[in-house]
Amino acid sequence: MRVSLFITCLCDTLTPDVGKDTVQLLERFGCEVDFPQGQTCCGQPAYNSGYVKESKQAMKQMIRAFEDSEYVVGPSGSCVHMLKEYPKVLHDEPEWKERAEALVHKTYELSQFLVDVLDVKDVGSTFQGKATYHPSCHMTRLLGVKDAPRILLENVKGLEIIDLPLKEDCCGFGGTFAVKNAAVSEQMVHEKAEHISETKAEYLIGGDMGCLMNMGGRLRRNDEDVKVLHIAQVLNSQ
Amino acid sequence: MSIKIGKKTYAERIQAGIDNAFMRQAVSSAQGRFRSGRLKAAEDLGDWEEWRTRGEEIRSHTMENLDYYLHQLSEQVEKRGGTVYFAKTAEEANQYVQKIAREKEAKKVVKSKSMVTEEIGLNEALEESGCEVVESDLGEWILQLDEDPPSHIVTPALHKNKEQIRETFAEKKGYTGSDQPEALAAFAREQLRQDFLSADIGVTGCNFAVAESGAVTLVTNEGNARMVTSLPDTHISVMGMERIVPTWEELEVVVSLLTRAAVGQKLTSYITALTGTRLESEVDGPEDFHLVIVDNGRSKILGTEFQSALHCIRCAACINACPVYRHVGGHSYGSIYPGPIGAVLTPLLDGYEDHKDLPYASTLCAACTEACPVKIPLHEHLIRHREIIVERENMGSKAEGVMMKGYAKWASTSAAYKLSTKMAHTALKPWTEDDYISNGPGPLKGWTDSRDFPAPARQSFRSWYKQREKRRNDG
Amino acid sequence: MTIHHRESFLNNIADQLGRPRRTEVEPPEYSVQPQDRVLAGATADELVDVLDKQCEVIHTNLEKATVETLPEVLRTVLEGYDVRSIAAAAGPRNEVSGLDEFYNRLTGEGYEVHVWDEHEGRHNVEFAERAGAGIVFSDLTLAESGTVTLFNDRFNGRSISLLPETFIAIVPKRTIVPRMTQAGRLIHAEESKGNPVSSCVSFVTGPSNSADIEMNLIVGVHGPVKATYIVVEDM
Repeated sequence: MRVSLFITCLCDTLTPDVGKDTVQLLERFGCEVDFPQGQTCCGQPAYNSGYVKESKQAMKQMIRAFEDSEYVVGPSGSCVHMLKEYPKVLHDEPEWKERAEALVHKTYELSQFLVDVLDVKDVGSTFQGKATYHPSCHMTRLLGVKDAPRILLENVKGLEIIDLPLKEDCCGFGGTFAVKNAAVSEQMVHEKAEHISETKAEYLIGGDMGCLMNMGGRLRRNDEDVKVLHIAQVLNSQ
Repeated sequence: MSIKIGKKTYAERIQAGIDNAFMRQAVSSAQGRFRSGRLKAAEDLGDWEEWRTRGEEIRSHTMENLDYYLHQLSEQVEKRGGTVYFAKTAEEANQYVQKIAREKEAKKVVKSKSMVTEEIGLNEALEESGCEVVESDLGEWILQLDEDPPSHIVTPALHKNKEQIRETFAEKKGYTGSDQPEALAAFAREQLRQDFLSADIGVTGCNFAVAESGAVTLVTNEGNARMVTSLPDTHISVMGMERIVPTWEELEVVVSLLTRAAVGQKLTSYITALTGTRLESEVDGPEDFHLVIVDNGRSKILGTEFQSALHCIRCAACINACPVYRHVGGHSYGSIYPGPIGAVLTPLLDGYEDHKDLPYASTLCAACTEACPVKIPLHEHLIRHREIIVERENMGSKAEGVMMKGYAKWASTSAAYKLSTKMAHTALKPWTEDDYISNGPGPLKGWTDSRDFPAPARQSFRSWYKQREKRRNDG
Repeated sequence: MTIHHRESFLNNIADQLGRPRRTEVEPPEYSVQPQDRVLAGATADELVDVLDKQCEVIHTNLEKATVETLPEVLRTVLEGYDVRSIAAAAGPRNEVSGLDEFYNRLTGEGYEVHVWDEHEGRHNVEFAERAGAGIVFSDLTLAESGTVTLFNDRFNGRSISLLPETFIAIVPKRTIVPRMTQAGRLIHAEESKGNPVSSCVSFVTGPSNSADIEMNLIVGVHGPVKATYIVVEDM
């Protein structure tokens, strides 16, 4: 099975290790992973800020980059959801819309791909420690991926998952919201960080780098000793 | 009042909200209770998603045929002895009600809770023409005595604590009792009973009108709406033009959705469906009934991509689910319609000029969309608003515009993008300490004021991958 | 003139919707019908149980009686509330249930009982305002929500179930249906046959309440403070 990795710009620049783990994880299950070098950013920062014209340029670049892929898999619910929105955004450009639809049909978020396509429930990894999981908003509410991460994490040996209070509440990231509405974002991430601390977990696990970066940044500012991990890092841990 | 409340800027309102510790505590605990109530009610009912689908289908069918159903409604009301006034604007609606009040030589008007009368500023209009106006919903009465706008569309005085309420009652009405909620409510009961009995006109809103029979339905818990429509000789109901369903069969569904989504009740204590005037043989109820159907900017929304915003049944589930509302409270929105639905509706009804910040008061987490019992895609409407603000209204900030143009260039060719991933680490190096940035430059500042930012990695993923490929090919 | 500015208003709506005015609309076909599944197939006794349980949620006391024991049960309820003045709905059901006679007896014992009388006009309302309890018959009872439906009319004034501090509803067992769906359907069917709905349909679910002060539930605000339903088995 040929899988093209959609790395997302955040992982590419800030947390390349997540990409490495994703590649290794997919390879472990027999996927032939490639990395189309033409890929950039999914367009979400511009699209969600109202700069739709600008976002379309990014979207078209992404469509071109993944045109020849069999499957496209990314370690982010939010960015994958953005790809799924392309046909709607490009609705008045029939040719691009059609190409966008082709992309939608072959694109998956990492945990979703493992569970739904590869039919894996236990990746056979071992990770010692107590962790809590933040189900990010776009992954669960927009992409509809609710169970896959939970199923995979439950089967990691040595890992104890502690339920995060009010876990479905947004962490306050919201892309440009974190900067534009910094004061509100601060309150939201502060509340989230408090809930994380309450769990007494050693690790915070999530499936979206944006949210993890937000929560992790606050935890670090609060001098909390909680390590932040992307789910790919946990699942690839031996 | 009007849609817009207060004169403070968005940033000032937000800060005031964040600084109001009591309000935030109250909102957060209310949200918790509303949320668990809604979820439990949905679970008890079963098939909640199907109910939502049914609700959405009812609302969209009704909106598509709104002219037909409003015509039918007006015919039925007339048949039952009522008068119908179609008001294009707030002014027209107010003038009509003022005219009725003059004709009746009304001195006292008693009201039950109604958002649309807040929206058009009916109280002020009636007071100008010399009427005493008494709000009878407990929360609204508190706010009226205190001259404070509502901060929530279902529990309008959510931001006040019982001590503040006791003080208001003492100061304005000579109350001498305790701050126990029961004592405060008993005082309101005693005070307002006299107003119900002596009022010349009762004014209500309308949760849903039923086109087939001409009924106006009011969904309440306190019983004040029944007082307002049973005791005074004249009843004036003011309805937003979209608050209508075709038949009683649809009414039943939207009411079931409303009470559950709003307060987690199977039905509220009173669902009252009033049709026209009282009959000749009847003793109580109004001898004169007027239905005022208000447009006030709603028709501009029809036929646009925002049409589903008119499907709203005013349950406030989106407000109760919203994490932004949770931290800033209702007054921060500067609109009588707060929260996600307020951020969608307010610019549509009252223009972007005063409300251009509202669509950005959301992380687009979609908790609102998920909570909505009639499936309004609220977060998508917010994105569309942002597009209009930037592209049509040209109200985006210059700096952001420049940045986004740069973004488009950066993300539309892999060369520029690649270069930046290479450069990022070096470019941010001066601000980096222990692989983190805690005092970032430019747009990063908003971020690093309250949290650390991870420094770009020394080697981007793509460059690692390239090396790996090379190693593999070489090896 | 009793309808003002309608044509321009509705023409504008049609314009905005981008089509001519509609003078005919087919009833919509809905894709789902979840309301029919709620308590589908429940027997009359099962519905009483559902009602009974829901009454706990809505702060309402539920009693059971037969036509024979109704006066006795009602007397106990009134005594429990320490009520000496009663506003009651009129109509043929008072005779069927023997309440006519019971009210006479109560009067003889010094109770103040006023049975609604359209000829007495405003006096009815004034009495209800100072009465300790209001007694009505449920026209349709919704088990799921614990709701009594009142088609207010010449016999059953709106004030009876609203102004007194205590609300008592006599619930003939055969009026109990699963939920509001059945009520909506019945009224819709009657409307379609040309039988206009009552000027006031009150769906009453327990006593009045409010959560407007710090989200604390207060039972009893403007409407009744206390409520009892008496289910009559054979009525």
